[in-house]
Order: sequence, then structure tokens, then C-alpha cells
Amino acid sequence: MVVFMSKGTPCLRDFTMSRGGWRKRVDDGDDVWGGRGGYMAAKVCKLEEQFKLEAPKQQQKEGISSNIFRGVAIYVNGYTEPTADELRRLMMLHGGQHHMYYSRSKTTHIIATNLPNSKIKELKGEKVVRPEWITDSVKAGRLLSYVHYQLYAKQKGLNFNDVCKNEELRPGPSNIHKEFENRVNGTAKSMPDPVTNSKVNGLHGWENLEEEDEDFEFRELEPVSPVRNQKAMDYHRDPPTMANGHAHRSNGALKPLEQTLHSSKSSVDNTQCPLLDRDSIDFRVCGAQPQQHANQNSDAQSNSAHAANLSSLHSIIKLNGAHHLTVQGPLHAKSTSEPSPSKLSTAGLASPHAMARPGEPNFISEFYSRSRLHHISTWKCEFTDFVNTLQRQSNGLFPGREKIKKLSAERTSLPSTDTGNTGPPTPAGPQRRQTCIMHVDMDCFFVSVGVRDRPDLQGKPVAVTSNRGGGKAALRPGANPELEMQYYKRRYMKNKTEETVPDKVDFCTWENPDAARMNGVGLDRTALSMAEIASCSYEARQAGVKNGMFFGQAKKLCPNLQSVPYDFHSYKEVALTLYETLASYTHDIEAVSCDEALVDVTDIMTELGVTADCIASALRAEIKDKTKCCASIGMGSNILLARMATRKAKPDGQYYLKPEEVDDFIRDQLVTSLPGVGRSMGYKLGAMGVKTCGDLQQVPMSKLQKEFGPKTGQTLYRFSRGLDDRPVKTEKERKSVSAEINYGIRFTQTAEAEAFLLNLSEEIQRRLVAAGMKGKRLTLKVMVRKASAPVEPAKYGGHGICDNLARTVNLEQATDNSKIIGRETLKLFQMMKLNVSDVRGVGMQMQQLVPVLRTASIASSDAKAQSRSVRDLLLAQKSKRPGSLATAAPEVVESAECCDRSSTVRNAAVLSPQKTLSTLEPMPSTSRSEPVVRYNGGLHTPHSIKTRLNLSIEIPSPSQIDHSVLEALPAEIREQVEQMCLSRSEETPNGFVTGPESLGTLILQVPEQLGQNSHSGIIVALPELSQVDPDVFSALPAELQEELKMAYSQRERAPEAPDNQQITVVTRNTHLPLKQPLTVKTKKHNKKNLVSPVKRTESPLKNKLLKSPAKSSGIRTGSPQKLIVDFLKYEESATEKLKLETGPSTSGHVPVPQEEASKVPVHQGPNLAGAFEIRDIKALLKEWITSISDPMEEDILQVVRYCTDLIEDKDLEKLDLVIKYMKRLMQQSVDSVWNMAFDFILDNIQVVIQQTYGSTLKIA
Amino acid sequence: MTTLTRQDLNFGQVVADILCEFLEVAIHLILYVREVYPSGIFQKRKKYSVPVQMSCHPELNQYIQDTLHCIKPLIVKNDAEKIVVVIMDKEHHPVERFVFEMSQPPLVSISSDTLLSHVEQLLRAFILKISVCDAVLDNNPPGCTFTVLVHTREAATRNMEKIQVIKDFPWIVADEQEVHMREPRLIPLKTMTSDIVKMQLYVEERAQKAS
Repeated sequence: MVVFMSKGTPCLRDFTMSRGGWRKRVDDGDDVWGGRGGYMAAKVCKLEEQFKLEAPKQQQKEGISSNIFRGVAIYVNGYTEPTADELRRLMMLHGGQHHMYYSRSKTTHIIATNLPNSKIKELKGEKVVRPEWITDSVKAGRLLSYVHYQLYAKQKGLNFNDVCKNEELRPGPSNIHKEFENRVNGTAKSMPDPVTNSKVNGLHGWENLEEEDEDFEFRELEPVSPVRNQKAMDYHRDPPTMANGHAHRSNGALKPLEQTLHSSKSSVDNTQCPLLDRDSIDFRVCGAQPQQHANQNSDAQSNSAHAANLSSLHSIIKLNGAHHLTVQGPLHAKSTSEPSPSKLSTAGLASPHAMARPGEPNFISEFYSRSRLHHISTWKCEFTDFVNTLQRQSNGLFPGREKIKKLSAERTSLPSTDTGNTGPPTPAGPQRRQTCIMHVDMDCFFVSVGVRDRPDLQGKPVAVTSNRGGGKAALRPGANPELEMQYYKRRYMKNKTEETVPDKVDFCTWENPDAARMNGVGLDRTALSMAEIASCSYEARQAGVKNGMFFGQAKKLCPNLQSVPYDFHSYKEVALTLYETLASYTHDIEAVSCDEALVDVTDIMTELGVTADCIASALRAEIKDKTKCCASIGMGSNILLARMATRKAKPDGQYYLKPEEVDDFIRDQLVTSLPGVGRSMGYKLGAMGVKTCGDLQQVPMSKLQKEFGPKTGQTLYRFSRGLDDRPVKTEKERKSVSAEINYGIRFTQTAEAEAFLLNLSEEIQRRLVAAGMKGKRLTLKVMVRKASAPVEPAKYGGHGICDNLARTVNLEQATDNSKIIGRETLKLFQMMKLNVSDVRGVGMQMQQLVPVLRTASIASSDAKAQSRSVRDLLLAQKSKRPGSLATAAPEVVESAECCDRSSTVRNAAVLSPQKTLSTLEPMPSTSRSEPVVRYNGGLHTPHSIKTRLNLSIEIPSPSQIDHSVLEALPAEIREQVEQMCLSRSEETPNGFVTGPESLGTLILQVPEQLGQNSHSGIIVALPELSQVDPDVFSALPAELQEELKMAYSQRERAPEAPDNQQITVVTRNTHLPLKQPLTVKTKKHNKKNLVSPVKRTESPLKNKLLKSPAKSSGIRTGSPQKLIVDFLKYEESATEKLKLETGPSTSGHVPVPQEEASKVPVHQGPNLAGAFEIRDIKALLKEWITSISDPMEEDILQVVRYCTDLIEDKDLEKLDLVIKYMKRLMQQSVDSVWNMAFDFILDNIQVVIQQTYGSTLKIA
Repeated sequence: MTTLTRQDLNFGQVVADILCEFLEVAIHLILYVREVYPSGIFQKRKKYSVPVQMSCHPELNQYIQDTLHCIKPLIVKNDAEKIVVVIMDKEHHPVERFVFEMSQPPLVSISSDTLLSHVEQLLRAFILKISVCDAVLDNNPPGCTFTVLVHTREAATRNMEKIQVIKDFPWIVADEQEVHMREPRLIPLKTMTSDIVKMQLYVEERAQKAS
């Protein structure tokens, strides 16, 4: 072995004083450094002073001085050309700063020529620049943009990412001020840094932009950039700015204002010049930019500054008017902190309603009366209610059905009319049983409603949006659309880079970077309209327009795009007609949204004996007839397939996905078309190499569950196979009630915000009352402007780039009282300690809803009360059609919650809808009540044993429980199911006292066999460990092994029998290949022991060894051998099953890849009598030491060997633990023998350690 | 889903990256905990989700980085057997040695996402152990310095000369004086066994530190 050392210790010239000496000084109580970190701070401070003192001297000496680098503070990292010293000199000469120590807050640029990767990562967010920047700047006599000199941008060139990075990394002024406060030493030197920093940054950001729009007007600015820089620098020379900058917190806030004032003043001056020459244009650009940055930090006081600022902006717009189509409307000199957006008239908005300010009491109601989303969301509830009412009032007559009957009658009268798709109607055929779900979806609902009375627009690209202008809107002061664009783009880019597989997933607006770039170009003076497109026609879609796109952008893609205003009245009318039409056929309707519904047509098909296609065409014709709008219908055997089929059906068509086609169909579908797979999940899946459902089918469920969580994983797994067991729900259980407003929120005072919150809680109360619910958990969500985001977002009244914050509180009891809610909300809000002027959105949500006890309503609506009795429901199912069973299920669950915890309910609730179908149906209803008795009664009563017969059939064995169903159940009920399983397993009489946890979980895995045995009343115990076939055991999934081990070790702890500690045997046998020598040794021991006369004091260690499989005929549990054999057989079969089956039913908890199990032996090295884990070893040692007074030599040797093995295995940590444990136990022992034994063991170990490591263990 | 195999060129690199990153953190932390440098030059940072101390002295950092830069190629090739942070007294006699003993187990393949979080947990345990190791160690005499030793496997020497990075930062065969410790006491700190590397950390401490 060769030992190397590195060239030498670094010579730390700053720490040449001995450590002791330094410490002494501190100890003297003369703590000049002020505690930890003080030394460094003091040193840095001193260095800076030195630098400052030296600078003028140096300047004198060289006879040159300039302020090129004013405000620039560099830190030289590593080797550079020119050297760090030279750079330091340059900085001195030219007014810059040089830092010996890098400080995140003060150093503006890091100079380096070569950085290791880790460094680069570490310095992410800093400006790392090549030294040429300095030299070139000196040569040029001005501060050049550092952008071209960036160290790690140089290879890549300036692509978009870089721009983003710069923007992102720029310390916003607010940050800088914070840092200001944190600074320990308030030397004046660094004071102007942050200002320049932001300035310089602003300029650079601008320059980046320039490069982006190569083709655009900024070209002309290039040559004059020095002037611009010069101008920018000028502000810093203003003495007041500097004086302010030096100040503390409060003044720090003022500084940018001052600055803004200055800059805007000068810009005003400039623009007042009659001659609008290039210079002034140029100046304007540079003036405006820093202002915007300064704006980020400005608060309400900045009005005056803004006024000036605006006027400059205004003139800019005028100047550039030629470039744009829209002439600016009058810009109000309102600061952005002014909360009323209505004051700002935007050219794009045709009718500027005087919107209420958020502080005003009627804001919320007004907001909701205007909000499009709110409209739509309320409609869904309305339609759900509508369907429910229809259902309740139903007289069983469906006029629609009659029509179809007539239709099909006509059809059948014709000779052999084959619809082709589904074959001739065969009423008695198998089709009758098959469920068929229909997904009715209006084609681009808003558009078709919008144009139905305007034939001139039909067939043209049309979009529904609030914008009616040419797609342009005025740029409002303070808004910084580029920044936002870049933010969104960056997010998009980030996502994009995460993707390893290039994917054609829909990226909504940011489909292609070109488009995005185009936007960036167009954004200079007038913002594109940020009105979102709610819906667009198919013609528009062909041009690339998408729903949710900003209108301005869409207009670019499709210049002849027509906009149509919202028409909520008509929407409602059409939607109502749609639902009425549907309801005339059936009442099994689930309202998805105002233009979308799921219909279970199984019933109609059976009753009328017609095909789904036939019904669909009748429906579509009727809808078209009544509403003048087209609907598409997709049909399939479940909701998922129906929805997928709709995609194929659109526009204006219908498609029946036949069961036999499903597999082929779904394989080619993109995963993103699955419900619930949005963008982020799409990315994740894309990263896994999954694009289509076919790909998804290849992914094992275990992996999906790991990636996406158990429930989503399973859903994905099932969806990718076209499986979907969600029933068509006519009544959905509400999970939460919420109200959220993130539009037009601009507060100036805390009181305003608080009043708003109180109003919002009243809104919540209204909604809770309307839903008949009370909530227990209150969540307050607040959107706060991101620190670096512009004060005024690009979208009028929008929230811009925000951080989302949320706080949740659990109330003592469920409430719908706005006072309580309001109080709690205010508490939460105050806890957040936010700057109210930065709040951009507020939302409240109530969760953990409990229905208000509707005694009155139950009494009033008899029919409903009837159906709420679970038993009736169950009985009714028999007579009723299966569809209603499914729909009834939620009610069961709900009633379980609201009714008293009667056992009937509990039992019923346990059964998932599916299970109800599969397991209940063959059972007579009487049997249902029996397990209830068991559950309520004590365990082990004779009664309970009797009923167990039923129980085992009644409640599916835990492994049979569909976990998706289990998960879908409310937490409470799920717990009960689990408890039930547990209690059942507890009941299984057991020879040994075992903790419920371990046995419970164990039984969860192997319940079936136990259950069967319990019928015959035979006592089953865990088999003797020695009986467990090691092969079987090792083949078991790791989790199961673990549990078995646990169960056995539990038993091991039972005091009586040392022979119960077979856990070790099991593990040993499991890993037979590892321990060939040991088993040989075992035999030797056996012989020896047989000969040995001292039988009484068998050491546990040896006992372990004795328990070789061959010798284990003595079964103490008294359980018949046969049973054990059965058990083993079962285990074998179970293992096989587990191997084979990764299906949903079992894999809830046992999806263990085989290789993992096989890997286990690799990890486990040395063992003591088969024990690997430190826990087991400790237990073993403890028993050995406590139960035996005279340790056998072989045992001691075995321990020594184990320890030696540990040393060889380089597991000193474990060795240390073992030795310490032994030491504690053995030295405690009264017998000096043990003390000697320990010394012996230790000596041996030390020898080995000495040999291996050349040192000895330190034993504390 | 990417899986790496031992044969992958990449694999050694990945392991080396992980280890070097860890070693850097560990060395800084050792220097802090053992008070080789005044605590003033250290800043609190977060790594592996636990607070660590990191020197902000540029030259020291550079030294550590250069050292690790050279060690990395050795780890890539599985040539480094031990990496030792030696703390020496004024006479340049070692008083403490923090030994990172590592070996990369032969393995078929591993999947990238299973190992990473797991390894991070294990490394975190190391870091935590280091940060409390002063409890089991005696105080060091004043005026300590440190150096880093690498115990390489057999013929790595030859290779080392060839590698460019190492040429730039030449290594010398350690003096016996710096390697040998009088009456060393061994204190195991932590052992980890993972798919990618098996590593243990122990401290060797001179029995009488003062002398």
C-alpha cells in the first residue's frame, strides 16, 4: 500500500498566530471579536479599510484614476490571468472593490478562469466572470457588460436559458436591503454596491433582450451603450442617494425611491427636449429599466416618484408610437400600490366597469357575480341538484325513451338494418348485462353558444374572451410583462429540461420557443392582451390557438381570429336544455360541468333493447335540435373509456368504444389524455420514458405507486389498461367548500385586508349553508407577490407571479359560522405577517365537512330519509337495477358518518360498492347482521365463534380487499375495516401470546388459511420456526419476511422457552449459502452436547445451533403436524401467488421485486449464530449473559469469531456497539467469570484490530 | 428509468462525485469540530438536510478542493482505499486521524433513484457522527495543522502520474512520521453499506495527545 499526502498544508497567512494564543485572548474576557463570526467580520472590515486607504495612494502613484468600477466588488477565485493582485490593483485604480473573502451579500462579481463543477454549482446565482472583463473594461474606459464575459456562459453562447438565469439570479433590491441590515460592519464603503448592482443588472437584462430580438429596433441602441452606462452611473453620484443608502432599515426602503425620483426627473428633462434624438431615446431605455427595478421595492409612498416615472414612460410610448398599432390611451399617474385597478383604464378593455375595490364590502359579491369560473363552478352544483331533484320526483316515465322506442321500432320493422357498429339490437343478448356509460360533451361550448345566433361567424376561427380589441392592451405602469413572460418561460424550460424524452406533450402557450420569443419582441411598449381565451372554435384550434391562451398571442397565431364576448345567460339556457334532454332519458346522470355529463345508459339499453349508438344519435339529434349546438358523445363500458371515446368522437360525432377494441385503442393513447394526468405528471411520466398508455402498461404498479403515491399509482395502472370502476355518481360527496379570489386584490391597509377576509368568511358561510355542511378544518391561502416580481402584473388586475402560502387550523368543532371562521382566519392571516400591499389573492377553504344534522329535511323528504336507511338500501338493491347500487354507495358511506355508530352501518360501510356486488349478492340478507354481533360483542365469546363462519365470507379477507376501494373510503371507515381485520386476526386463537401489532400485520398477509382453519376450530399458531422451509422463506417478499421475523422475535421475547428463539435459525437457513462452515460446526456442537453431561445449562447460543432443521421434531405448541404442513403449503402457494400476481388486489402492500429479496444476503455479512441485525445480536448476547452463569468456551470463541468477521467486513461501528454492549452486560455481571470472558474477548479483538489497523480500539 | 451498472463508465464517476462531495463536507466539518481553525472562518450551511460548518477561507477551501479533485480519479477507479484526514500537532506528529475506509462492492446493477435518497441518508448519518465526535475524543493540543493522506491500492501510483489533474497538484509519498502514530486508539464512528459504496469512518487518536 502506498500512502500519499497532498503537497502540504495550506499556508494560512491570516491564521499564523497560534490557535492557543487566539483563544487565550478570547478567554481573557476581552472579547473584541464579539463572539463567533466576529473575528471574521472584523477582519473583513479591516481589509476593506486597508483597501480604501491604499486606493488613493495607488491612484496617486500611478497617476490614473477613474470610477469605471464604482460599485463593483470583485472576489477573485483561484488562478486568474492577470493575477489576483493585479486585479486588485486595477480595482483600486478604477474605483472598484476587491474582496479577500467572498461574501454573498457584498461581492458583486466573482472573477475566475476555471472553476470546478462543484464550485459552479455552489455559485449558482452569482455572477462569475472572466478576468478579461476587468481588463477590457479598463481598456475601453467604461464598464462593459459582464454578460459576454460570463464564465460558464461562454461555450453555450447566449441562449435563452442564460437570460433566464440572469434574471432569476438578480438580487432584487429588496433582497439587497435585507442584506444591508444584516451587515455587521456598517462601513460606508460598500454602500453604493447594491444600487449599482441592480442598475447594472437592469442594464444587462436589457442587453440580453437586445440580443434576443436581433431583428428589432434596439439595434440602434448598441453603439450608444456607453452613454447609457454613463447615465446609469450618474445616479450614483448623486449625494442624496448615497447618504440614504448608508442608512438602516427604514432608510433603505427610501433609497430606491429617491433614486427613482432622480432618474425619472432626468428622464423627464430629457423627454422635454424638443429634439427627440437618439440619445434621448437611448436614455429613456436605460432610465426606464432601473425604474422598474426600483419599483419592485417601492411601496405606497412612491406615488410622486411614480408620477414622474409614468410621465417618462408615457413619453416613451409616444415616441415609439410608430411601431405599434394601438395608440395609447391616457395613462393615469396612479401608483401601483393603488388598489383600485378600475382607475387604470386600459385600451384593451372596452367597457371599464367601475369595479369595487377589495376593501369595499360588496367586492366579493360583485366579484362572484362577474367571475366566469365562479359561474361555471356553481352551475355544476346546480345541475347536480337539478338531476337529484328530477330523480326524486321521478315517476318512472322517460319521454325520451318512448321516442327511442318508436325509433327503434321503425328501424326493426325494416328488414335487417344493421347499424354496423354494434350489430342488430339483441335484447336478450349479453349486451344487456353490460354497462354502458355515455359521455356527453358539447363541442367548444362557449363558442358554439356564442355563435349560434351569428351565422356570419360560423366556420370561422372564433374565440370567447373578454378582450375585444385587436389583441393589444396598454402597458400599465409598474407592469413588467417581459419579466413575467420570462418567469413563465423559465418554468416551462425547467420542466422541459426535466424531460429526458422529447415529447409532444401539450405545453399550452409555450409550445415553441419561437412563439415565446415573438412575444418577447412584441412586448416592448404595448402589452399583448392578457385576456385568456375561455374557448375557441375548431377552426381556431387548427391555427394553433388553444384554450387558456392569452388573446394577444392567439391573435398573432391566427390574425383573423374573432372574439366573442361571454354570454352567461345563454350558456345557462343551453346547459339547462342539455340536462333536461338527458333527463328525459334517464336519471343516472353525473353532472361533470355545465357542458359535460356522464350518463349511465345501461338501463335504457336493457329496457328498450337498443344499442348505445342508437341512443347516442337520438340524443345528439335532440340536443342539436333544441340548442342549435353540437354535442359529441363517447361511449364505453366505464367512465374512462367513455371519456376517451369522446375525444375520438369530436367534433360533432359519436364513438362507441367496443370492449374488444379497448386494448388496442388505449395502447395508442397519450398518457396525458388520461384524466388526472396533467402537465406535471406528464413530465414525470415522460421522464420515465412513458408516452402512451401502452408504455404505461409496461410499468409495474409498484413503481407507479412509488412514484406517484399509492392511490394515484394504482389509478394510473388501472387507467392505462382501460380499467375504471368509478360509478356514475348522481350525488357527489363534497369534500371541501372554498372561496378564493385572486383577481383585483390590492390592499393598502391591514384593516382593508382584514375586512376583506371577514367578507370572504361570510361568503364561506353562505356556501357552507347552501351545501348543508359544517367544516372543521380551515385553510387560508394567500398569494403574495414574489419578491422579484413587478408590482403590477401584466394581466390587468391579475395576480402576476406569486408565492402561494397556506395556513391551516383545526377548529374545535365543525362550524359554518362566519364569525368563528372570520376570527380564525384573521388569526391565521396575522400569523403570516405579510405586507398587505403584496397580497394578490386570498382563498379560504373548509375541509373535513360534516353534514348539518338535517332532521327537518329528513322528515320533510320522506323518500330521501328512506333511502338513507342502510338496510333499506341494501334490500332495495336486490330489486332495483345494479346501477343504482353503485350510486347508492356514497350515501351509505355518508350515512355511516352522520348516523350514530350503529354496527349495522359499520358493517355496511365496510363493504365497498364493488364488494357489495360481488360478495353480498349471493348471501341472504340475514347473515349480514351476524358479524355485527361479533364486532360489538367481546372477543372469544362462543357467540362470536359461531358467527365467524359467516364473517369469513362476509368480510373479504384482507388480502382480497380492493385497496383502491379501501383508500377511497373515508379515513374513519377505512380504519374500521383495518381494525376489523386486525380484530379478526386477534381472534384467531393462538398458542402464543403475541402482540397484536405484529400478529395483526402478519395475518394481514396470510389470512386466508388462518381463516379457514378457524372454521374447524383448530388452534393455529405460527409454526415452529424450524419447520419453516428456508427456501420458501427466502422466496417470500422482504416485507413478509420482515413480518414473520418480527412475529417470531416477539415470541422469542416470551420468557418461558429458550427454544422459541428460532428467528435466528430462520434467517440462517434463509441464507444458507453464506454459512456453509457454520452448519458444519453446528453438527459438531450437537455431538458434543449430546455427550456433555451438563445438560441443564445449555447456552442460548448453542440452543440456536441445536435448532438445526433436522433436529426440530419436538413441537411444543401441540399443534398437529399436519396443520403445519398445511401452513407451509399455503405459504408456498402464497409465495407463488405473490410472485405471479402483481395485480391490484394483492399488490397494495406486497409488490416486492424478486431481486430485492435475492439481494438481501449480499448486504448481510457476518452473523452471530445467524443473527445479523444489531438488535438480534444484542438480544442474543443478553440472553447468553443473563441466563448462563458459566459461559462455554466455544460460545466465547464464537463471539470472538463474529467480532473478527466484523473487523474483516470493515464494520467497526457494529463491532463497537457489540463490544460496548457486552462490556456493559458482562462487567455488570456478578460472576467474575463474565468479566474474564469479556477481557478475553476484548484481548482477542484488539489483537485482530492491531493486525488490521495498527491500532487498538479505544474502549471508553 | 436509468439503471447503472458497474461496467458503465459513468458509474465510477457518479460514485466519485457523491463521495467527493461528501468528503468535502466531512473535511470541513472535521476541521471545525476538531477546532483546527478558529470557528470564525466557518459558516453554517445545510447539506444532506443537516447543518454543517463550512470554511469560508478561500485558500483553505481551495486546498481542500484541489485535494479532492485529485482524489476523485482514484475513487473513480476504485483505487483509493483510505482517505485520511490527519490532524497533526506542532511537531507534525499526528494526533488524530479520521480514516474514511472505502471500497466499492461488485454489483450487477442499480437503479439511479433507489440509491440516491438512501445514500443520502447514510451520508447524513456520517455527518451527524462527525459533528458529535468530539464527545468521544480528547481535546487536541493547540496549534494543530492538518493534511490529507490517501492510501491507494497497489499500482495506482503509476496511474496517478498519468492523470493530468493530479500532475497539476502533485502528491508525495507520505513521511513515515506523518503516517505513524504512537499508541493509536481506534474509535469507530460510522459504517455504511450501500449499493454503491461501502465506507466506514473511524478515528485513530494518539493516547497522549498533550505530549
